[in-house]
Order: sequence, then C-alpha cells, then structure tokens
Amino acid sequence: MTERTKIGVYVCHCGGNISDYVDVEKVVDSVKDLPNVAVARHFVFMCSEAGQQLIKDDIKNLGLDGVVVASCSPHLHEKTFRDAAKAAGLNPYLLEHVCIREHSSWVHSDNREGATRKATWIVKTAIAKISLARELQPIRLDVEREAIVIGGGIAGLRCAIDLARAGSTVHLIESSPFLGGRVPQIYKLYPSGKSGCEIVEELIDEIKRYPNIKIYTNAEILSAGGAIGDFKVTVKVNPRYVGKVSDDVIAKCPVEVPDEFNYGLTKRKAIYKREHSYPDIPVIDMDACTKCGECNPDFDQQPQTIELKGSLIVLATGFKPYEPEEGEFGYKVHDGVITLPVFERLLALSDGKLEYNGKEVRDIAFIYCVGSRNEEHEYCSRYCCVATLNASLGALEKFDGLRAYHIYRDIRAYGKYETYYEEAGKKKMLFIKYDPEEPPVVEKSGNKLIVRVKDLLTAGEELEVPVDLVVLSVGMLPEMSEVFTMLRVPFSRDGFLQEVHPKLRPVETAIGGVLLAGACQGPKDTVEATASASAAVAKADTYLVKGYAELEPFIAEIDPEKCDGCEECVGECPTSAISIKDGKAVVNEALCKGCGACGGVCPTKAINLRGYYYDQLEKMIDSVGGD
Amino acid sequence: MTRVNPELAKELEKFGAKSATVCFNCGNCTAVCPLSNNSTPFPRRIIRYLQLGLEERLLGRMEPWLCYYCGECSQTCPRQADPGELMMATRRYLTTRYDWTGLSKRLYTSKVWEVFCVGILFFATLAVIYLFHGPIVTDHTKLETFAPADIVHPTGYVFGAVLAFFLLSNVYRMHKFIMRSGERVNAPLSLYFSELGTLAVHFATQAKLRLCTNKSFWIKHWLLMSGYTAAFILVNVDLVTRWSLTDSPPPAWHPAKILWTYATIAMLYATTVAIIGRLRKREPIHKYSHSTDWMFLILLWFTVFTGLLVRIFMQFDLPLPTYYTFAVHLALAVPLLGLEVPFTKWSHLAYRPFALYFERVRERALQLQQPPQEEEA
Ligand SMILES: Cc1cc2nc3c(=O)[nH]c(=O)nc-3n(C[C@H](O)[C@H](O)[C@H](O)COP(=O)(O)OP(=O)(O)OC[C@H]3O[C@@H](n4cnc5c(N)ncnc54)[C@H](O)[C@@H]3O)c2cc1C
Ligand code: SF4
Ligand code: SF4
Repeated sequence: MTERTKIGVYVCHCGGNISDYVDVEKVVDSVKDLPNVAVARHFVFMCSEAGQQLIKDDIKNLGLDGVVVASCSPHLHEKTFRDAAKAAGLNPYLLEHVCIREHSSWVHSDNREGATRKATWIVKTAIAKISLARELQPIRLDVEREAIVIGGGIAGLRCAIDLARAGSTVHLIESSPFLGGRVPQIYKLYPSGKSGCEIVEELIDEIKRYPNIKIYTNAEILSAGGAIGDFKVTVKVNPRYVGKVSDDVIAKCPVEVPDEFNYGLTKRKAIYKREHSYPDIPVIDMDACTKCGECNPDFDQQPQTIELKGSLIVLATGFKPYEPEEGEFGYKVHDGVITLPVFERLLALSDGKLEYNGKEVRDIAFIYCVGSRNEEHEYCSRYCCVATLNASLGALEKFDGLRAYHIYRDIRAYGKYETYYEEAGKKKMLFIKYDPEEPPVVEKSGNKLIVRVKDLLTAGEELEVPVDLVVLSVGMLPEMSEVFTMLRVPFSRDGFLQEVHPKLRPVETAIGGVLLAGACQGPKDTVEATASASAAVAKADTYLVKGYAELEPFIAEIDPEKCDGCEECVGECPTSAISIKDGKAVVNEALCKGCGACGGVCPTKAINLRGYYYDQLEKMIDSVGGD
Repeated sequence: MTRVNPELAKELEKFGAKSATVCFNCGNCTAVCPLSNNSTPFPRRIIRYLQLGLEERLLGRMEPWLCYYCGECSQTCPRQADPGELMMATRRYLTTRYDWTGLSKRLYTSKVWEVFCVGILFFATLAVIYLFHGPIVTDHTKLETFAPADIVHPTGYVFGAVLAFFLLSNVYRMHKFIMRSGERVNAPLSLYFSELGTLAVHFATQAKLRLCTNKSFWIKHWLLMSGYTAAFILVNVDLVTRWSLTDSPPPAWHPAKILWTYATIAMLYATTVAIIGRLRKREPIHKYSHSTDWMFLILLWFTVFTGLLVRIFMQFDLPLPTYYTFAVHLALAVPLLGLEVPFTKWSHLAYRPFALYFERVRERALQLQQPPQEEEA
C-alpha cells in the first residue's frame, strides 16, 4: 500500500475554546514538515463557511489526497467536514476528524503545555492513519416496499394503515385470535370518551380497505432474523377449527368457561368471537372443547407455516398490566379487591347498578401506583393516574349514588388531563395522599372492606375508609416475547424495548431496520402509542419510499487468502453476521455492526475492520512512539 | 383511627361548604392569609377536615374564629374553592354545635324555621305591646306614657339575662370542645384571669381584622361594632338615667344624644354598605350569602332605621307615628337580639374574642406543661 503524501492538516481554534489552552500554532508547526503533510493551517472556526472553503480550495488547488481536521467532537461535525471533502471531489473517508477540544483543551485547561503536547499526538496519529487510508464506499442496500408489523394492538393497527397508505405491503402478525390488543377492554377511553371497542372498530374498518395489508392472527413467530432490507420471519398460523358461522351456532356450544377478555366476570363458550373485532370468524378453544361437533367444526384444519419477508420490522407488542402479589393490598385475600383493568370490564358490563360478586357497590377506593414507582419497578406507568380518574368519573356518571376515594401518592394528570382531576373534585370525590413508606392496608370488617391509611395532608391522621370495592391502579409491564431475542433488540433498565436515543432517534432500535411502536417501548397511553406508531412509519418510509438504505462502510472485511475457515469468528459475532461459505468466512454487510470482536479472535489475522486496517493502527502507534 | 365521614361533609353543604372537595390542598390560602400563623395555620387544614368530615377535629379548633373573612385566600385559590366561604360555613356549623338547644341548627338549616321564628317573635312583641301599652296621648308625643319605663325596663332586664344565659352556656360548651381536643391541657385557673386582657383587647379593637390587607373591612366592621356597643351601653345607661323613654327628650348637644347619633349613623352606614356589597357580590366576603346573613342584615337595618324614625317623629312631635314606629322598632329588636345573639350570626361577637382567649390560655398552659412544639403548616 503506497502512502498518501499530500495530506492537509487543519487545526481549529473553536473561538477560543481550543486556542485558549492549546497552542494551535505550535501544533501546526510540529506537523507541517512531516513527510506526508502537504499543508498545515489553523483557523478560528473550521466549521464556518470560510473554514470549509479553506479545505475545499486546498483539495482543489494543491491536489490533497487526505485531510485531517482537529477540532471538536466528531459527533458534532464529522459529517460537515466529510460533506465538504466530498463536494471538493475527495472521497469522504479520506478525511479524518479528531477531537482536541473535549479530549484536550477542555480537560487540560490547567496545563497549556501538556494540552498542546496531547493535541499534537492526536493530530500525528490522525495523519498516520489517513496516510494509509483506503477509498471506502458506503454500503448500499436495496429496500423493497414490504414491511412486517408484529403486534395487532392500537399501535400495530396504526402502523399497518400508515404503511399501507404510502403504498407498502404490510404483514401484520398478531398472536391472539383477534386484532385490537388491550384497548377494546377499556370502558371509555380518555381523552375522547369513546369506548375502546369503538376506537378499534374504526381502525379495523380502515384496515379492511387496504388489500396490501396481510393479516395473520392466531400466529406464532417461529423464527425472525435478517437485516435492513432483508428480514425474514417464519410464522405458524394456528387453525381456528371452524369457518364463519352464525351466532346461533355459537350458542349451541354446551361448554362454558370463564371469559379471559372479561377477566372471568362472564363466561364464554368453547367456540367464541369478539364483537367489534377482526376477523369476524370465531375460534375454538381446544383446551375447553369437548369435540361434541355442535358448531360445525373442522378439526382437520392444520397449522400453516408461512415465510414472510420484509425490508423493515416494526415491533408493536404492547404491554401487560401488573398482576399484584397475593395479599398485596388484600388482593386475592379479600373479596372485592380488584385491578383497574377488571374494573374497566365491570363498568362496561354492569347495567343499572354496580355489583361485584353479587354485592352492590356504593363506596369505591382506588389505590394508586400499585406495581409502579417502587424498588422492583422504578418507573411511573404514566397512564394509570388519568385512567383511574377517568374510570371513576365514568362510574359516577353511569351509576347513581357512588362515592369514590382516591388514595394516591401524587396525581400525575399531566397536560390537559388536569381537567379530569379537577372534575373529580367537583364531583365530590375525596383524595387521600399516602406515604409509600407507610402504604395503605386493606382489611375486611363485616361486609365492608376497610382501607386504613395515614393521610399526609392532615399531618398523618390515621384514617379508616369503609368501602365495598378496592380498585388497584396497576402499572404497565413489558409484554415479553422471544422475537426480541431472535432479533437481538436491546432492553432498557425497566425491561421495555430500548430506542437508540430518546430525543434524537426515538423510534429506532440499535438493530438497523427494527423500529418500535406503542407500549412495548415503555408505558404509553393510546395517544402516545399511536403517535409513536405514526413516527415509526415516518422513519420506515425514509427507507421504503427511497428504495435503498446507505450504511457506513466500517465493517469487517475478510481476507480469503488468510482465512482457513476455523469458524472462531462465527461464534464471537453478536449479530450473527458471519457465516462460512465454501470453507471461508463471509460477512453479511447489512448485519455487521463493525464492532471488531471477530478480528480479535481470528488466529490468522484474516479479519480487518474497514477504516481501521492493521497497517493503519500500527502506523498510528509508531507515529507517537518515542515522543 | 378516625373514620372518614362523607355524611358530615354533605351536611356541611347546608351551611354553605359546597366547594370543599374542589380544594387540592396546595396551601396557597394558608400562605397568603395575613391572619394565619405557624401555631394556628388555616384555612387549608380546616378545609381538609371538612373534606374528610372529621367532626372531632372541627369541633376542637378555634381557627375558624380567627378568620375574619378578608377573602385574600379566595382570591388566591387556584381551584376557586372559596376557602374564605368554607371558613364562614365552618363558623355557622360550629355555632350550631356549640348551641345545646338545637334551635341554632334549625335556624341555619331551614329557611321555614328561620322565617317562622322571626315572625313569631315579631308578632308576639306587637301583641304584648298591644295588650300592655299605657294610655295613648294624641295631642302631644308622650312616649313614656305610651310605653311606661317601669314595664319596658324590667322586661328588658329579664330578656337580656335570658340571652346572656344562652350565649354564655354556649361559650362554655365551646370551651369544652377546644380544651378537650388534641393534646390534653389542664389550664390552671390563674391563667384564665391573667389572660382576661386578651379577651378585652380583642373585643374592643378587633385588632386581628386589621391584619387584613384591605383595611376598609376593619374600618367598616369597627364602625358597626362600636355602633352597637354604644347603643347597648346607652340602652343600659338609660335604664338608670331615663332620658330616652321620656316625654321630654334632651337637647341635641346632650352627650348621650351625640353618641346616639353616632351609633345610628355608624350602624346604618355599615349595614347599608354590607347590603349593597352582598347584592353586587364583588368582594369575596360578599359573594355568597346564606339566608341567615340576609336575615341579620335586614333585621339590623330596619331596627336601626325605625329607631331613627322614632327620634325624628318625636322631634317633630307626631304622637301616633312615634308610638307605632316604636312598637315596630321593638318588634324588630326582639327577634334581632333574641335569635341572632345566642343562636346565629351575632353570636360571633362572643365566640371570636373567646376563641382567642381560650387559644392563649391553651397555649400558655401547654408551655407550662412542656417545651414548645413545632406544628405543620
Ligand atoms: C385499565 C387500563 C385503562 C386504560 N385506559 C386508557 C384510556 O382511557 N386512554 C388511553 O389513551 N389509554 C388507556 N390505557 C392504555 C392503553 O391500553 C395502551 O396505551 C394501549 O393498549 C397500547 O397499545 P399497544 O398497541 O402498544 O399495546 P397492546 O394494546 O398491548 O397491543 C399489543 C398487541 O400485540 C400483540 N402481541 C404481543 N406480543 C406479540 C407477539 N410476540 N407476536 C404477535 N403479537 C403480539 C398482543 O396480543 C396485542 O394484541 C389503559 C390501559 C389500561 C390497562
Ligand atoms: S401514573 Fe400515577 S398511578 Fe401511575 S405510576 Fe405514575 S404516579 Fe402512579
Ligand atoms: S388555595 Fe384553594 S386549593 Fe389551595 S389549599 Fe387553599 S382552598 Fe385548597
């Protein structure tokens, strides 16, 4: 490899951020006569129009074959300078941007001489590195207009519609037999006041209008893998064991089991359907079915295994409500202690008067933050304060003579939801603030439940609140799935799926082409879930609509001459990007993240990392040796 | 353990505490209240008791009597919970609880009872006058002949004694509630004597009310208060000096006459301003009017006004109008004093200074018992 000998070096003052502590002239002086350097300059703001122009002019006039810019962090301006180089006709990867601000002037502001020496070393290594740099090209991947959405809750439905509307083919995979997720179980949704069923019905009506949305319900994901532009998901679609039959036929089923949709408040048949949902075909619950044959079943139906491909995957697998421990606030110990999701169903199903287990309910206590904001689950579940206020208002509106007590830690009815809190006060509901160190205790006394709570607002008055029903406002937990491990998506500390950056890249995961929508990413209400779904689609369309994706070229490169096919590297790769073909290792360019783990284990040094070739690294070390 | 009692909260609505649950306990009201202090913070804490229906706590607090309804809290409350009015409602409630006869509660919670009682006393007084008045002299105004002092004055004494009995027995109950609540105190008798000064000073100056930012409340209230104190003294002095119920009234420069004029003008001015205020509803204190507030103002205004008319008619020597108006004047004064002083609104003239007095006694007694304690805001 012949060395580059016309390198331009540009040292930035950054106003005074650098030059106040680093003697930039000295840095320039100590490198300007190096054999590979054609020109070395310093300038007050390299990133300014004038600074960029300086580089461009030198490239053109002096015929530079490499550039080193020493200034702020590459996170800030690497792209700026590479674009400038490219505009002047130089391969952008022949420009090296090094940091002498965060790495030198700012951290050594007490030592001008030391800071200057360090900056000089940094610049020298960069010159060494660029002197052996190859002309690299970004990796270009074709992206077809086909995407896979996993999870058919409100977020998944929103994604599917938005993707289909822009013309992509969508594969919507739902593990349960019906679409809709958890929203249809909600009595009346804030902020609209419409029932959960109505909202989902509207989305399903829209879904039906797009033939390019392929729906797979009752579907299990067997495998998932691939990379942006080329994902493959294998699903097993389980049989429903029955075709479209009328309600009369369903009624004939002699078996009755607790209906999980209503948390066992009602019963359903072994063959069942969900109203307002999709598909409009019932399903037979084979665990309950006695095979009596009354409903015209077809027990010969077999599971179908389908291979799906997509350029991108959107995960919309949602959440599950926290299930309190036995005895937590009397849960499962005292009759009449239920969770908020059950209360939503109770509201939706009751008529005339509110009854639980055959007993009329007049007084209700809502206990907040159950399963949230504690040692086990540190986060706030966001939805529960407003959902509880909303449910209590809904209850008071539907049933006369109810009295509600809100036993809370903090009411986090944020934004415009403040009005729900205010309305609850106007409706004469009582708020009692408890200290998490001394949480309320639920006891049974006669046919009443007694909530004992120390009220912080009266300086610790010990109160007894007699009620008929205790509703626990349970938090949100992530719904776990093996798909996450198959795709290697990282989790946050709270156990939800993690985005790359909460502000800068809020819907992407570290796995290129895998996006997040809805409550799988963290507690979200429907407003936030659908907003994130639409955001994920907007991101997806930046690839789908363009037709290709460009990735940085810094990935592993295998020298087939040296590789002896030992397979050491295959097991080391965290993204499964290496495979062996014809006795030699090959790298999947779309999957490789360029972490370099494989290079470390290769016994024959057959693996280089592009942009960090061995000869470059060695020369960089030599360049500061002995100094 | 205290049981929350939403029934009590509901009952309190009848006294005007309609907005208690709207309060979200931010404490802004307590922070702005110029009368609240660290050892007796209000109104937030009282409102909290209202919300939860903590009867024992409410009965044991004297803070409601320390509130003079300057209304700064109501203007500051971010929830429009009208803390000032909630304090007012608490005072009404407490008045009914101090009263052992049960009449007070009926007057506060039933307009029918209120109008009925006022009516009975009004007409009964007229009937008594009709039955027992002296000869009607028509060629000259002879009020003393019409209303012989030896009948009017003893009747007045007996009436006053009865009122004082009721009022003081209620004050005694108030004392019991306050001393029994929270930390038990055994105040030595000597404290009750040494703190008598507090009682006198606050009764005479209404000093607390002066802490309100809007000083006009204090001025108006003081005018009213000094007006009827003057009137009260004059009536009693009159029992001895006999110059009002006389057939030949003293001249205008007579000191008693000047004081009468002051009392009449002060009371008439203050009540008229209050009536206009309640009609306009601009200041917080006048925004909400309970039926008993109206009854008090109307009775007071007409009593003072008829008293003034009697003087005028006497001056112009118009015998019949003088006698009739005097009869009406008495018929108004009897329900005014009889119902308002021991049972409803006017009882605050005793409860307020006594609350401060008991509070001082309690505080001193506590200091004697142990080192002082911090209280929450
Ligand atoms: C009691 C209660 C009351 C609420 N009230 C309100 C309210 O009033 N207003 C409001 O805005 N929000 C409310 N919410 C929040 C609302 O339920 C959520 O915001 C919403 O459900 C999130 O939608 P999602 O699509 O992200 O998840 P989900 O609704 O959980 O849907 C996820 C879907 O993905 C499917 N799935 C999961 N894993 C897989 C897999 N591996 N393969 C295939 N499919 C999979 C699930 O079966 C499900 O259908 C409430 C929540 C609760 C618990
Ligand atoms: S939203 Fe409210 S109830 Fe839910 S965890 Fe947060 S603070 Fe607790
Ligand atoms: S300012 Fe209003 S809301 Fe705040 S504590 Fe006082 S009454 Fe309650």
